[in-house]
Amino acid sequence: MHHRGTSLLAGTAAALVILAGCGGGAESSDSASGEVVITCGTCQQSPTDPFLQYNYEAAQRFNERYAGTYRIETLENPNAGSSDDRLQYYQRLAMAEDLPDLFQLNSGEIRALQETGRLHDFAPDLAADEEWAGTFHDQVFDALRGPDDQVWAIPQQRDAIGVFYNAELLERAGYDAFPSTWDGFEQLAQRLRADGVTALALDGDWATMLMWVHLIGTGGGEDFLTDGIAAADGWADDPAVVAATERLRSWHVDGYVNADAFSGEFQNAAAAFLSEQAATIANGPWFVKTNLTGDAASPGLYEKTGYAPAPGWTEGERGVIVVSGAGWVSGTTDERALEAVREFVRFVSSQDEVLAQAVATGASPPVAVDPAAMAAAGLEPLVTGLAEEAAEVTHQYPHVRVHGPAGFGVAWRNLWPAYVDGSMPTEQFLDRLAADARAQAGG
Amino acid sequence: MAVSLLPGAALFATFFLVPLGVLVVTAFSRWGGLDLAWTGLENYRRMLDDPVFFSALGNTLFYAAAAVAVQVPLGVAAGMVLALRPRGWKAFRAIIFVPFVISGAAYALVFSMFYNARAGLLNNALAALGLPGDRDWLFDTATARWAVAGTFVFVVGFVMILVMAEIAAIPDEVYEAAQIDGASAWRQAVHITLPLLRNVIGTVILIRLLVDIGMFDVVFILTAGGPDDATATLALYAYRAYLNGEWGYANAVGSTILVVGVVLIVAVRRLFRVGEGR
Repeated sequence: MHHRGTSLLAGTAAALVILAGCGGGAESSDSASGEVVITCGTCQQSPTDPFLQYNYEAAQRFNERYAGTYRIETLENPNAGSSDDRLQYYQRLAMAEDLPDLFQLNSGEIRALQETGRLHDFAPDLAADEEWAGTFHDQVFDALRGPDDQVWAIPQQRDAIGVFYNAELLERAGYDAFPSTWDGFEQLAQRLRADGVTALALDGDWATMLMWVHLIGTGGGEDFLTDGIAAADGWADDPAVVAATERLRSWHVDGYVNADAFSGEFQNAAAAFLSEQAATIANGPWFVKTNLTGDAASPGLYEKTGYAPAPGWTEGERGVIVVSGAGWVSGTTDERALEAVREFVRFVSSQDEVLAQAVATGASPPVAVDPAAMAAAGLEPLVTGLAEEAAEVTHQYPHVRVHGPAGFGVAWRNLWPAYVDGSMPTEQFLDRLAADARAQAGG
Repeated sequence: MAVSLLPGAALFATFFLVPLGVLVVTAFSRWGGLDLAWTGLENYRRMLDDPVFFSALGNTLFYAAAAVAVQVPLGVAAGMVLALRPRGWKAFRAIIFVPFVISGAAYALVFSMFYNARAGLLNNALAALGLPGDRDWLFDTATARWAVAGTFVFVVGFVMILVMAEIAAIPDEVYEAAQIDGASAWRQAVHITLPLLRNVIGTVILIRLLVDIGMFDVVFILTAGGPDDATATLALYAYRAYLNGEWGYANAVGSTILVVGVVLIVAVRRLFRVGEGR
């Protein structure tokens, strides 16, 4: 029931919200020369985030190529990178009809933001240009679609995620290759523990969830990760989920994991691996650029590092997580601005640009690329090695953030430490995780 | 006269009455920013049905009580000792006061490193003493709340400085008369200084309580309210609702914080007769 008496107050408050949101976005405009100017909320320079830095450089190249026709104007956006506040930030802008013409979101955020009705649907654009649409890998749009087959984003990457390992530490423990089964991984962990080395670096958030997903995905839980996780209950009825959850918990209890594995700060996990206190860490290929070749890594660590698919529950059943990562979305309805947006997303999904992005960030292209061009680009060998192995593994599955509720990460960080310290049994943990993830997502 | 009040009245209305009105009205509504639907007491019913709300309320009161129970006695004691101007009192005053001016966020970051289970100072010190040194103090449900409280309860500079100022305002004649009557320094402190500090002690308790029932930054940075909401506060609980787009519910929680604050103000003012003469 809506009340007129309160609508004035709501209007006043909404005006305040709109005022607060101003500055995040900007009107697209035509300059005096007839050039179409569009705004980009994730194209700013960044000395720390290689993806943002690539976006900035790509926008500059776009501006050069289309000088006089289209131009991207960069917005300085404190929420450009991934954070828990990013979705709320864009929701405020959407309510104020002030979304940038171009920006990036991950799939969970897209699902939430599409409810505002302010995102551009790229499905007609792809349908109108079948040649362009045909360049994309299969399934890269799966996590970016709406309920009526809308396509809310053009994917930026398609990565296989495995496990990085320190080959020298493994060799000292008597292993010349990364284990191919979880039992083998636990035997390795026992030997490493005896040597005073932490087997697995976790953080209570991203890295921990990656291992949970690997355990589920290689244990016959692919259906859960693509469908079941969208349901608000019944997670504890899935034997693959229960087995994975309990096994991951046992690694904490058995001392295979770094002691500071619950803060939710990825740097805790990264520090353990980069300082060679931990022998393995799960992460995507961008870890090479963002951490492994950085100043925080022990000297020579890169040369000692291997990158492998996740072990399996049985021999020959290994797996990788396949993610599309962030996608380019648009919040404009202006037809001339949309022309520029369409041209930009075609531009960044061209072969030259996806290779430039792969070199700059380590992310794998979302589109098919000529193998000769791929070889000539001099891509990161660890990344390309896993990408080749990924094509052969038995299991490929999405990350929990792709099809799971948008509030999954917050709920996980809150409940996982309590579950590990024995405050609740597995069934209660999974039931609450499902309920809280949905509640946190405003569902 | 009335015209001269207009700027002040306008500012008061803009920055106090309007936000308060929005808070109160939307607390009884379902509101996500634009659409507002009156739901009566629904938000409060939901609050009373949510165990996390009571956990957050309990934690908030715990933090407030811990701050008062530790900061006030220690701050009063420090203020009374330094008011005697022992050797080096200015240096001690500065050292004790400096932590108070450090921002809560910076403080929380320092303590997140202090408590770090793998490389933190606390665990390393315990290990050096031969004690178990691998506990994750902030993310173990048994210790998290105490670890969070430990980051701010010893920041006594604010209480100390107010107490010192109050003591400086006590006329010297009072102490001279006591000395003539043969009262020892201890008896002067207990029977003269302490009773005359009643007003300022009541005031600092009031201020501490009002600051702590709105506590957000330290908890948000240290634990984000986890594990299992063991450290969540009412302000953090409201923030989560806000992030979920449940602004009406968030404001219902905010109005509850307001009520808790008013109750505490009235109780402390009556208990300490704050504002009444000496």
